[in-house]
Amino acid sequence: MSDWLAQVIDRADAVANAQKDELASLRQNALAELKQQQWPTRRTEAWRYTSLHPLEDMTLPALSQDVPAVPEIDGVDSLDFVFVNGKLQGDMPKLPKGVSVGGLTDSAMQAAATEVFGTVKPRTHLFGLVNDVLATDGLVIDVAAGAKISQPLRILNFVSAGSETHHRVLVRIGDEASVSVIEHGAGSGASVNTAFAEYALGAKARLEHYRFALHGGDAIHIGGAHFSLGTEARLNSTLVGYGSQLSRLDYDVIHAGQHANAKLNAVYLLAPREHFDLHTNIEHAVPNGTTEENARGIIGDRARAVFNGRIHIHRDAQKTLAELNNRNLLLSRGGTISTKPELEIYADDVQCAHGATVAEIDDKALYYMLSRGIKREQALVMLNFGFIQELVAQMPNKALAKWLEPQLRDRFMLMDVRNGS
Amino acid sequence: MMLTIKDLHARVEDKIILKGLNLTVKPGEVHAIMGPNGAGKSTLGYVMSGRDGYELVSGSIEMNGEDLMEMDIEERAQQGLFLAFQYPVEIPGVSNMEFMKESVNAIRKARGEEALTAAEFLKIAKEACKQVNLPLDFLKRGVNEGFSGGEKKRNEIMQLILLKPKLVILDESDSGLDIDALKVVADGVNSQRDGKRSFIVVTHYQRLLDFIEPDYVHILADGKIVKSGGPELAKEVESTGYAWLGKPEEAGA
Ligand SMILES: Nc1ncnc2c1ncn2[C@@H]1O[C@H](COP(=O)(O)OP(=O)(O)OP(=O)(O)O)[C@@H](O)[C@H]1O
Ligand SMILES: [Mg+2]
Repeated sequence: MSDWLAQVIDRADAVANAQKDELASLRQNALAELKQQQWPTRRTEAWRYTSLHPLEDMTLPALSQDVPAVPEIDGVDSLDFVFVNGKLQGDMPKLPKGVSVGGLTDSAMQAAATEVFGTVKPRTHLFGLVNDVLATDGLVIDVAAGAKISQPLRILNFVSAGSETHHRVLVRIGDEASVSVIEHGAGSGASVNTAFAEYALGAKARLEHYRFALHGGDAIHIGGAHFSLGTEARLNSTLVGYGSQLSRLDYDVIHAGQHANAKLNAVYLLAPREHFDLHTNIEHAVPNGTTEENARGIIGDRARAVFNGRIHIHRDAQKTLAELNNRNLLLSRGGTISTKPELEIYADDVQCAHGATVAEIDDKALYYMLSRGIKREQALVMLNFGFIQELVAQMPNKALAKWLEPQLRDRFMLMDVRNGS
Repeated sequence: MMLTIKDLHARVEDKIILKGLNLTVKPGEVHAIMGPNGAGKSTLGYVMSGRDGYELVSGSIEMNGEDLMEMDIEERAQQGLFLAFQYPVEIPGVSNMEFMKESVNAIRKARGEEALTAAEFLKIAKEACKQVNLPLDFLKRGVNEGFSGGEKKRNEIMQLILLKPKLVILDESDSGLDIDALKVVADGVNSQRDGKRSFIVVTHYQRLLDFIEPDYVHILADGKIVKSGGPELAKEVESTGYAWLGKPEEAGA
């Protein structure tokens, strides 16, 4: 066992003594599991390409007092929940009818919290268990059956240099309810942050989900988003990741009810030495589910991307339709991408497509642009950016896409663009 | 002289495709080029525009007295060369609007003109879009992405209208068009004839030349121009085909 994990376990006991809420027994279970876990090494499959040395070697500086400004988004009138280093700032916004929100240990929210906590997120994620035992900050969101919440709920999770935070979001979406949640994380100072979110969707529930993992620099960010879909539930999720010295996200989508539909888009833009690791796992446990997943990354300079896309179609999950596509664009020789599809199909009547490519620049498209007078550097920027812009344009919230696009473009412009050939 | 091509030999991969091609085009002239499949018509356009892999072996190409072969691809366009592609390229993720705005502004910049603002460009783009009879949402779509064959050709003409080049090569801009679209394309081209702009119209069919009247018609076969004449030559080809090419002495006459 590593020193890091040992001190987590020590602190977990302290948390258990201090927090006598309804989640206490669930935390105890998680702690028992955590004690059974092996610390990952390069031989651990799920961590083969991502080293935990930065975490083990991290000595946190003094806590910085910088508090970033909350980004205002034109055309997005969101209900904001701002966390700085784990602590909720200001008062709860006034909530529309049909949704209740509270802290993780808020007694009014315990019914929803205990129903969701640890039930969507698989027990296999080591840092998920760490988050289970250490997270006392976060939000519980409960959307009543049938409620249509038009205002997006935006959860901002800023981390400053010197902070260690464990943040948890638990969301219960009742039958036929619909809601949009934006998880926005940022911070690039030396810090450690785990952030896991669990979403339980009832029958015919709809969730529009965004996760912007805009960390950078020395921040260590390990987290995940996990979704359980009831019968005919619909999930539309977009992930934007920047990477940092160590960024790792795990996504799980569990088709628990039939005829559910999941659309998952992920975009990552990495430079100069950033590391970003995305593991996604789609569980088709029942028949007639549909999943469409697209992950695209641009890797510049000496950055490293890891993508692992697993689709597990259980024996009974006939008539499953699952598609997973991962495309990566390497802008420099120093960058690396490790991409691995993992198909486990135990049902025979399914349609499942899977593709992973590492692309270089499309010469024909480049020639076409040059032949219209566009300068080479500019053409390369447009072509490469177009590759991820396609996914950004698919975001259901157009105002949000419009806000995000120029930021991604600016970030991309700073990357070292060279012709791949 | 708008264009002077002298004894052009060019190679694609290891194969010599153009084998001693001569052509001169004066400002304002329209030259039609016809010829059998695989003769090298598209190759000529690619060599002129500077496509990778299309190499000059010997001979020269000058546009307005300047050596085209010395220029980068984008420079040739900035100097006024425009090639309407036989097979326009799809670029998903780059909007048609963004693509055309960047081109127009790159070319304006090269001419020492101010870049157009987004609003200014939108205005002229909408007009051009209407002129080629494409719905306005084609400006928002990815470049040629999912466009039908005919829509792609009209999109090329829209670019021609916006870019205002000096020398235009239309490579089978009529192929795959229904009769109404053919008229739209021809009208689009004719609207750009101002007595100074020159056109090289590559086509297999007399039909297009009924709408865009050429000053000269050339037959390109096996890498060179084997016969030149007036508009009547196109009509002749329409009725007799290229069987006569089999007899070199007749072709040389
Ligand atoms: N990349 C390439 N590699 C090998 N051969 C090529 C390549 N491009 C063109 N060619 C060959 O060069 C010759 C001329 O082709 P080109 O496309 O210029 O003909 P064309 O006159 O435009 O024909 P069409 O009327 O069918 O459009 C053909 O034999 C073609 O197969
Ligand atoms: Mg051709």
